Amino acid sequence: MIGFVIRRLLHLIPVLIAASALIFFMMYAVPGGPVAVLVGENATPEQIAEATRQFGLDKPVVLQYVEWLWRALNGDLGVSLHSRVPVLQLIGERLPATLQLAATATVIGLALGIPMALVSALAQGSWLDRVLSGWSALALGVPTFWVGILLILLFAVELRLLPAASTYVPFWEAPWQMLRATILPALTLGLYVSGIFARFLRGSLIAELNADYVRTARSKGLTEGAIVARHVMRNAMLPFVTIVGIMLAGFIGGAVVTEAVFTYPGLGRLVIQAISSRDYPLIQGSILVILAIYILINLLVDVLYVYIDPRIDFG
Amino acid sequence: MIGSLEAATHIAARVAARPAALAALVFLGALTLLATFAGALGLDPLEQDIVRMLEGPSRDYPFGTDELGRDILARVIFGARTSLATAAGAVLLAAAIGVPIGLVAGFFGGWRDAVLMRVVDLLLALPGIMMALALIAVLGRSQAAALVAVGITGVPTFARVARAQVLSLRRRDFVTAVEAFGATSSYSMFRTILPNSWSPILTQMVVLSSVAILLEAALSFLGVGIPPPTPSWGEMLRTGKEYLHDAPTFAVLPGLALTLTILAFDTLGRALSTVLEGRDTVVPARGNQP
Repeated sequence: MIGFVIRRLLHLIPVLIAASALIFFMMYAVPGGPVAVLVGENATPEQIAEATRQFGLDKPVVLQYVEWLWRALNGDLGVSLHSRVPVLQLIGERLPATLQLAATATVIGLALGIPMALVSALAQGSWLDRVLSGWSALALGVPTFWVGILLILLFAVELRLLPAASTYVPFWEAPWQMLRATILPALTLGLYVSGIFARFLRGSLIAELNADYVRTARSKGLTEGAIVARHVMRNAMLPFVTIVGIMLAGFIGGAVVTEAVFTYPGLGRLVIQAISSRDYPLIQGSILVILAIYILINLLVDVLYVYIDPRIDFG
Repeated sequence: MIGSLEAATHIAARVAARPAALAALVFLGALTLLATFAGALGLDPLEQDIVRMLEGPSRDYPFGTDELGRDILARVIFGARTSLATAAGAVLLAAAIGVPIGLVAGFFGGWRDAVLMRVVDLLLALPGIMMALALIAVLGRSQAAALVAVGITGVPTFARVARAQVLSLRRRDFVTAVEAFGATSSYSMFRTILPNSWSPILTQMVVLSSVAILLEAALSFLGVGIPPPTPSWGEMLRTGKEYLHDAPTFAVLPGLALTLTILAFDTLGRALSTVLEGRDTVVPARGNQP
């Protein structure tokens, strides 16, 4: 088991190196290169020379990359050009908000998706199944930013029940306010993933329901409820864990648009702000962190999968 | 490439036999016509009627007017042009880069396969929207940049589809025969294998059109996509969101057009997949929804 985890971690190293190189060298593709970004368009030759020396841009590019990576590994992602605050600190301020939104959305997605999949799979081919399948197709296809706007229109403009703009309130400080402030963006994302969750779980439930062991269980006289609860659900949940993990990982940074709809102060909006102000250290740093978290969550899911499924060999 | 006109008609008939797919086809056909002949309809997406700003639907303006007094219906129709053209360009770009990558990786195997597919995996590791944003950061904000950014995110899908096709066709007799006659690698790849791989590639093109339209709208919604005043659905949603109290239809109607278009491409892609490959092989791409 430990060997498996270590091997998986070793596999990650080339991916992270390649990704960080991609992110770093992107800055060299900018017209005028990184110096133009640092000093602005109207800089004098003296200012350009000064900035080039100051930021070590006169060194060989590969050496600059290695130094950048080394500092990143030591927790130094540079300083934001715009606010002059360390990039890591800015990311640290936004990360809890993003994680909280991702977790709430996933809980909503599971609460909607699991019952939908169960009903669909048990009543396969019925009108209810068709309605629910249609619903998940809709949940998947409708853009989250339009759903978000419709939710704002209904709950904030018409009913005046909830705020149109969301803020970050830590759950452990004020659970009720947190719910009020986060429910609309979380519902927007949750509705979307519920479609994915329902579709995948329905598929694996139907596959399990047709398995031999279910026929054996039925012939032993077990009730349908007991078969589903004790056997089918447990097996169908295994591949499902992967999907839940992938979606959760996707929300770290992938929820940019929903964050923008509700002006939620998450990591995604930090990237947008960084791009709008051409704040390259912040762009590089935040994309690197988002990517690292994304890859790490995927790794955790793989490990968890092996852990909960005794049939999988660690080799 | 599509064998003959007869085969194409046959496939179209089988797709159209499915009611949902037929509805999607009719909708997309009408939208394409409207977008193409938008100029001939006498609609002007830029003309301002400044005494009638942020109005609801009326006889003069069936979809209402925006914050500058422009006709929202005209902007939705011209927005369709922007949206469809960008998506088409992006999907063609993705196929033009992705298919050769997949062909070469699958055909030669070995180190070329290892290197190319690692690059593809890397592209897949980033959520699509993040990658598009990173590219916009480098390219700057323009219609071309939006097209390229959306297109690049589609490259891995085409590379994977093409590679899978090569692997399954490579050992077939007709490919072996062509090679036995001394065909060059590029002849085998592009003249023998590729023409027999069009069905999954075509399906991907239709499905990815819906993803491309969504992504382009998302970029415009975030304010980094196609720059104004070019009408774009994402940009209209972005501005309309600021006026939800005064003019709710401003954001709702462009969003409806966007949603219907995305659903239509998705429905059509699934139907095509079922007709061509016997089953719905379309899986929701990772993190393509922002």
